[in-house]
Order: sequence, then structure tokens, then C-alpha cells
Amino acid sequence: MTFERAGAVMKRYDVIVVGAGPAGLTASIEAAKNGLKVVVFDENAKPGGQLFKQIHKFFGSKEHKAKMRGFKIGDELLKTASEVGVEVVLNATVIGIFPDKEVTVNIEDQLIHYKGDAIIVATGATENMVTFEGWTLPGVIGAGAAQTMMNLHSVKPGNKVLMLGSGNVGLVVSYQLLQAGCEVVAVIDAAPRIGGYGVHASKVTRCGVPFYLSHTIIKAEGDTRVTGVTVGEVDGNWQIIEGTQKYFEADTICLAVGLSPMSQLLKMAGCTMEQDPKKGGLVPVCNQYGETSISGIFVAGDVSGIEEASSAMIEGKISGIAAAYSLGYIDEESLVTKAKVLEASLRSLRQGMFAPENRGKILDKTEEGYDISMNLLKRGYLTEEEVESYPGVKSKKGIHPVIECSQNIPCNPCQDACSKKCILIGEKITSLPVVDKEATCTGCGMCVAACSGQSIFLVDESQEEGYTYITIPYEFLPLPKKGDIGLALNRSGSEVGQAEVVKVKTAKAYDHTHLLTIKVPTELGLKVRFFKQLQEVLV
Amino acid sequence: MSKIRDRSIDIGTYCPQPDDQLIICRCEEITKGEIRQAIYDGMHTLTELRRFLRTGMGPCQGQSCSKIIQGILARELKISHLELEPAMSRAPMRPIEMSVLGNEVKGGE
Repeated sequence: MTFERAGAVMKRYDVIVVGAGPAGLTASIEAAKNGLKVVVFDENAKPGGQLFKQIHKFFGSKEHKAKMRGFKIGDELLKTASEVGVEVVLNATVIGIFPDKEVTVNIEDQLIHYKGDAIIVATGATENMVTFEGWTLPGVIGAGAAQTMMNLHSVKPGNKVLMLGSGNVGLVVSYQLLQAGCEVVAVIDAAPRIGGYGVHASKVTRCGVPFYLSHTIIKAEGDTRVTGVTVGEVDGNWQIIEGTQKYFEADTICLAVGLSPMSQLLKMAGCTMEQDPKKGGLVPVCNQYGETSISGIFVAGDVSGIEEASSAMIEGKISGIAAAYSLGYIDEESLVTKAKVLEASLRSLRQGMFAPENRGKILDKTEEGYDISMNLLKRGYLTEEEVESYPGVKSKKGIHPVIECSQNIPCNPCQDACSKKCILIGEKITSLPVVDKEATCTGCGMCVAACSGQSIFLVDESQEEGYTYITIPYEFLPLPKKGDIGLALNRSGSEVGQAEVVKVKTAKAYDHTHLLTIKVPTELGLKVRFFKQLQEVLV
Repeated sequence: MSKIRDRSIDIGTYCPQPDDQLIICRCEEITKGEIRQAIYDGMHTLTELRRFLRTGMGPCQGQSCSKIIQGILARELKISHLELEPAMSRAPMRPIEMSVLGNEVKGGE
């Protein structure tokens, strides 16, 4: 069916989806599954939005595709989308949404008019910037740009990188920079506490990266490009405290200071908008199904409030189903039943200490009543004394898991990974994992590889007199070999002695997380959590 | 979201600041000083600043600078940035050549 207007004949779709990221793809899949004719437009040359840059394992539970790496989730979504008949048009820039759901798209230098009975806007977010002297120098880049260079194009963004921002993006990208072979000279943040998950911070810290909280960039040094950075400590009013200046040699400054919803299309369409700092900026007002003030225009993902890919995918599903309902493809009962399940799944992701309602709050106890480590929030690691206070850390004869998980985050793959029922999280996925001392650990290592936060280690004091064997998750190349001698680093990344690699285990089920078993003198067994290769030190 | 602001309020006079030479809108190369000066010249909304200075009207369409400019404006007016009306959004949402804009095509076929 076509519509005549102003000389242009418009191609019609049941649903036009803007953005082929996690939210847009899941929305289009759900809509197509319910019989709708769906097209997805994306301005990029590749689909998947940010998913294909996410080489780390995701959090959540099985239903949220936890412990799967982002790019694999992207592959899966694209495959499903094509199976259910979703048409994905790339290099297609939506330049406007007009009355009666008319959409104009720039494809190959032609301005094409389309008409949708419903529109789902899933345009995602854009990175925030901060200004400081020298911020326009080459070498100052967004964290997203660093990810694009490394993970999509295999280009090293720089050699010595300073990361500004300790939220999950800053932490995850810092780790990926280390994986790419960059030196991360420091992670700094003006906030007094690390903003992202403690486990993400810990895996960066134990590689030797220092954190400077309550610090900000004063100046990017260099004439034609960044050669260094001067940072300083800030007081309660965000003013630099005189005399606290520190200089770092660096060729790259990575900014990870938050995201803003890319909601301009919705504002243009005439949707009622609101400024919501908790959602990251200007967002459309929408109902529980993601429908905006304009009937038939839906939103999903970061454009309706900054969260992460797992929740974006559920929101996408909900809006896809809601679009199907609004066009009469499914009945109300079916909508309510399906949405109920998805909303429960979304709720479980929005629980815990990083839940939207806890943003900006200082919590000092976990849901179970354990003390939250302030050391973790300020320095990025748990002290030896603190570690032992959590329910995942129990001393035991023979090989056993040590789970250094101390914050209520929505994640439970470790529980499913253990076939011997050593690890218990329970119904509520934000609960801290509890190690059952009575259960028998076989040392299979599935939990170590399954932990998206890389916070599970296997410790065995019974292998060899005077030594403790520690199995750590290892995601760096080159992979050490059995017999290699290297540096044993503790949780803060300091060298505490030497370690010998006794086993390197690689398995398909581990999904590219290698299990490195190192041996250290028994007195270091509770301290050592990372292995640094010697050749790496020499280079 | 339409907000009415009293334009007769006195925000004082423009005083130079040490970081006024800092470029804020990279696409159009507009400095913090120029933006601050424009505010004291009477541009009290984001849309007015855009029209007066072309901030946020270059290739990135304000994706980098709009939040920063919002902050500068709010600070000079001594109000919360939440009280500011967001800048106008209109097609084309992305920079586009006139030849493309004029190249309307029937129905995507």
C-alpha cells in the first residue's frame, strides 16, 4: 500500500525502527515475530550499535544473556532478525519524523519518504564531554571512540592512556585498553567514589592501574598533540586544591564521563519531553510499554534513559510487543501476559546497590548486612581483611572457590556454573554469592570463567607443601605457558613476589577466559590475585 | 515544557574569566568567552545562543557541546540547567547536502 503526498509516494511499513542497536534489534524481532512488517534504519555501516564493541562478558542472569560477550549477543540478534524477516537498512540516516508517522531517510544521497503505522525510536545515546585546557588537542578521545578503534578496527588508540571517569564505561574500557596492550597510567574521577562495579575496578587495579578519586584534569599538555596530563585534587566544591597537582606522561586522554540520550528525533516529532538528570538528560515521557505522548511512537533503550545493553534489550522487547498490540496484531491479554514477564526481568536488573533509585546514595551495608568496602570504592580493591568478611570467601582444605564479590549487583552465572552446588545466590540475583563449605569443589573452573566480574579464584593449599595454587581468570595475550616464571601481583597491583605457572587451561565452555594456575609461597596465597609475565616487564 | 523566563532580570555585566579562550563548540570554533559575552548581550535561551553564535549548528549538531553550553548558560543566569528550555530540534537531524535534501525519492522503490 502506498500513500500519495506532495508528489512523493511513500513505502509503508507496520513498524519503522530507528537504530539497530540492542534495543532496536530486539524491538524489531519481537514485532516481526508477531507478524508485523518491520524495517530498521541505522546510520552506521555496521549494525549492532555498541554491542559489537563489547568484548566483555555481560552481567545479569541467564534470561539476560549473562556471561555472554556483547558482540556474540549482537551476532545472535542479527541472525534472529534475519530469520524472522526484519529488514535492516544500513547507512540510512533518519533525518526527520513528521506528522502521521512519516519518516524521511537519507539513503545513498537520496531522501526517501517512508510511512510507518508505528515507530520505535531506539537511537541510543551520545557521549558527554568535559572541557579543560587542551581538550581539543588530538589525543583527547571519548571512551566509545577508544572502543571503536580497538574492538572494531584493531587499532591501538595510544600507548599511554589516562582515563577520566570511573563509571562502568571507564572501567570496562580501561581493562580493554590493557588487553589491547596500552598502558593505563591512571583512572581519575572528580567524584569521591568509584562509580562503576567494584569487580570491574578490581580487575583494573590488580593489573597495577592506580585510581585517583576526587581528581580532575587541569590541563592536557602538548602543542600539536597530547604529551601529558596535569591533574589535581578537588575539594567539596569541585575546586582544585592548590599544591595537589600531579603530572602524568600520556599520549591519550580517554573521556568516560557519562552519556546523554539521543532524543532529538522525539522532540522534533512533538513528543512530550522532560529533563531527568537520573535518566541522563532530555527524555520522552512514556508509559510502562515505552509509548510516548504520541500514540504509536515508542522508545526503547538509552534514548529513554541511560542504562545498559541488558535492560535496553528487554525494553526493546516490550516496545516491540506493545507496537504489535497497538496495531491490533495481538490482543490485550497477550500484551499484558508477555509484558509482565519482561517487566519482572527488567526489575531484577534494576535492583541492588547500582539500581536507579540508589544513584548518588552512599550505602554502607549490603542487602545482607555486610559492610561495603570503602577501600574498594576509593582505591579499587578489597583489603585482605575485608575480603575474608564476605560469604564467598571461606577457608577450606583442598581446592575451593574464593569469590571476592562484595556488592549487590544483578548477576548470578556463578551459581549455574557450579554443578556441585558449591555456590548459592538464591532467587534474588543481586544477593552476594555464598560458598557452601560442605559441597565438594572439583576444581572444574567453570565458575571462574563464568564470573563476568572476574572475581572468582580457585585456591588450593593441599597440592604442594609450602605452596598455594591459585587459579585466576586470564584474558591477555600472549598466553603464558606452563613453567613460566612471572611477577605475583596482589589486589592493589603491587608486586609481592614471584609466581610460577603450573597450568594453563583453555576450553570452549570458558569462552576465551583462560584459567591460569600459578603457584606462590603459602604465605602469599591470600594476597596474590594477578600474574604479570616477565617478558612483558622487559618490554 | 514551555518555560517563561523574566528577561528583565539583571545578571550584571560580563566579566572576563581566565578560561574564556577555551573552545566549547568545536565544529563552529566558538569559545567560552564568546558564549558568556552573548549571554550578557541578552541571549538567555539555548535557541537564541544557537541563532546568534551558531553553537551546536556544525557537523555534530551539538552532540558534544550542548550539555556544556547548557551548563555555562545556567551558571551565568544563576539557575538550574533543568529550568532551561532545550534547544529546538528540527529536521534535518543530521547535516545533509542541499542536493540530497532536494533529491526526494518516491517510496523507496
